[in-house]
Amino acid sequence: MSEKIFIAQGELTAMLERLSKEMDVWVPVEMGDEKWGIRFLPYHEDTIVVLDRQSTISPKNVVFPQVETLLRFRYQKDDNDPSKQRIDLKDRQDVSSALVFGARPCDVRGFHTFDQVFLNGRYKDPYYEQRREKTLFATLLCDTKDSACFCSSVGSGPGDREGSDLWIVPVDDGYVIQALNDKGRKLIPIMGKQATTEQIEKAQRIQEQVTAKRIGEYDLTRSARDFTDRFEDMDYWRDMVSKCISCGICTFVCPTCYCFNITDESRDLEGERIRSWDSCMFYHYTLEASGHNPRPEKFERYRNRVGHKFSYFPDTYSGMISCCGCGRCIRSCPVSIDIRRVVHHLKEAVDAEV
Amino acid sequence: MEDKTKTLQREFLKVFEKLEVVLGWEPGYDSLHATPSFIRQAKDLNKLVWNPLCSQNLCTYLVKTLNASVRKDDKKIGICVKGCDSRSLVALIQEKFITRETFYIVGIPCEGTVDWRRLMRIEPSLKDVQKVDIQGNELEVETAQKTYRFPLQQVLEQRCLHCRYPNPIIYDCLIGEPITPHIGDDQAYGDIEKIEQYSLPDRLKFWEKELDRCIRCYACRNACPLCVCRDSCIAETRTPKWLSQRCDLKEKFFYHMIHAIHLAGRCTECGECERVCPMEIPVTLIKKKLNQIVKDLLDYEAGIDPQKQPPLLTFDPGEKGI
Repeated sequence: MSEKIFIAQGELTAMLERLSKEMDVWVPVEMGDEKWGIRFLPYHEDTIVVLDRQSTISPKNVVFPQVETLLRFRYQKDDNDPSKQRIDLKDRQDVSSALVFGARPCDVRGFHTFDQVFLNGRYKDPYYEQRREKTLFATLLCDTKDSACFCSSVGSGPGDREGSDLWIVPVDDGYVIQALNDKGRKLIPIMGKQATTEQIEKAQRIQEQVTAKRIGEYDLTRSARDFTDRFEDMDYWRDMVSKCISCGICTFVCPTCYCFNITDESRDLEGERIRSWDSCMFYHYTLEASGHNPRPEKFERYRNRVGHKFSYFPDTYSGMISCCGCGRCIRSCPVSIDIRRVVHHLKEAVDAEV
Repeated sequence: MEDKTKTLQREFLKVFEKLEVVLGWEPGYDSLHATPSFIRQAKDLNKLVWNPLCSQNLCTYLVKTLNASVRKDDKKIGICVKGCDSRSLVALIQEKFITRETFYIVGIPCEGTVDWRRLMRIEPSLKDVQKVDIQGNELEVETAQKTYRFPLQQVLEQRCLHCRYPNPIIYDCLIGEPITPHIGDDQAYGDIEKIEQYSLPDRLKFWEKELDRCIRCYACRNACPLCVCRDSCIAETRTPKWLSQRCDLKEKFFYHMIHAIHLAGRCTECGECERVCPMEIPVTLIKKKLNQIVKDLLDYEAGIDPQKQPPLLTFDPGEKGI
């Protein structure tokens, strides 16, 4: 059987319905009535899937939830010796298989960054590993770029299939879906009927057209050195990002930002140790126990975000940029800070622009 | 008539040598966004723009970024304010975070700013925009190909639809003519009344649904010109630990109530909390409700009169309102 199937627009819901019997299926849906934003939620029967624009917040939470329980604990007093207490720990968690349907190439690329940190280093993160292993991505060829997109500037592109398990190409009034690996191949029989030769050829043409597009005018892949050269140029950072209000939007909507906090949240004798998203934009992120904060100013925190993605990360992980060019941090920024501009001008001052 | 952008630049140029910095707006990353601009050199004044995309309330920088209460020399801070922004400025003066003399204020009567998300809903393919302007009751968007016209009601920010203060309250220089508000005092709280028609259980359901989307990015707090606790917000303190790091509905609800209660009788309804929310939660409604209560009980609105003592900053033994 061919690995390429065709799903008509009208059959999409029925297909997702079938898939959702096998696993959790996360799909992009609108935030609410009359709202523009999109987020990924588990599919249920009333879900209206929206594939015509990028989600406001990336689907990273499927693999890396905003809050994850690492372990549960409970103190028990020793009846015979009240000065002693025992701790019961439970650290097992059940993770179900999941499919993210309708992610974009940039969303999937975000996990390349995560994998380096959580899987490929000296230590493996078991929580991440478990979910990563069990999550599949059916990724949509992306032909809906807007003015904030810049995936080609960071070495990817709108037709980048790397890291996806299934690949979706919109064709006429439906989608040609193809498996890219064995994990994806297993789902093909549940998904639909074989595509016709005509549909496959058409999908191929669309794939080629979209892949040929370059999204983003700059090349931002070789900025590591420029960043370190510019690091102490306080005027540059003040000029560029004085307007930053230091909220966590850019880091929370970002597919590659992986910083987290670990806290014990307890009440009386029991509680949980949880891991939750943190943000280097927050003052408390670098606040030390002594009260000293190495990054007290907002622009210093923004500088760190740029440095991490375009300099420290590639220095540590053989040149890899930890930015996927999705543009979410630009689009959702309350003050419209443009990270492309900040990185591009590292090399030469803005005054040279004109 | 001279372009307001040009007038704005010219007015600042006249006084620039007395200014340390000018806070205004410049074109953003695309033709549908403006971005705050900190101008420190006269030659950069030509970057400044004024148009219906200039949505940010620049007063948010005064306490939290510029620390405007501490001046190095006698140079002033130049700032552009819309009607709503000027109320924030007045409220900060009332609360003694800043002094009037520190500022050179350029006031701009404002017919409303554009909610780009609403615009995208109507016309998702809008691009290569060359000019955005308000003409009567319509927003005119000129692109390379054609000119679009959208009814203002459909594309303005929610805050603008109920705006009673389009004209700056205080200013040193006014750009353009004052505008007649579209909304009377009796309609000021029309948006809240809609929610209040719901039964209590339905109202709870509404807020649970909306607030459940919150990702605790704190943009609503950080964009708020009157959230002045800087880096010591109780939402993030660990000692005492009021809120946990969990991100369930209870924590989100609690956080938003804290934010709203701290703004009771202080909020100037600039709507920045709602505008910046990436999850499109109508959080301004909560603050407006509290404002309505303060108005009913104490006949007070924040940011209207620089001389007036805010009721929650004083004590009146003969208080009749409560």
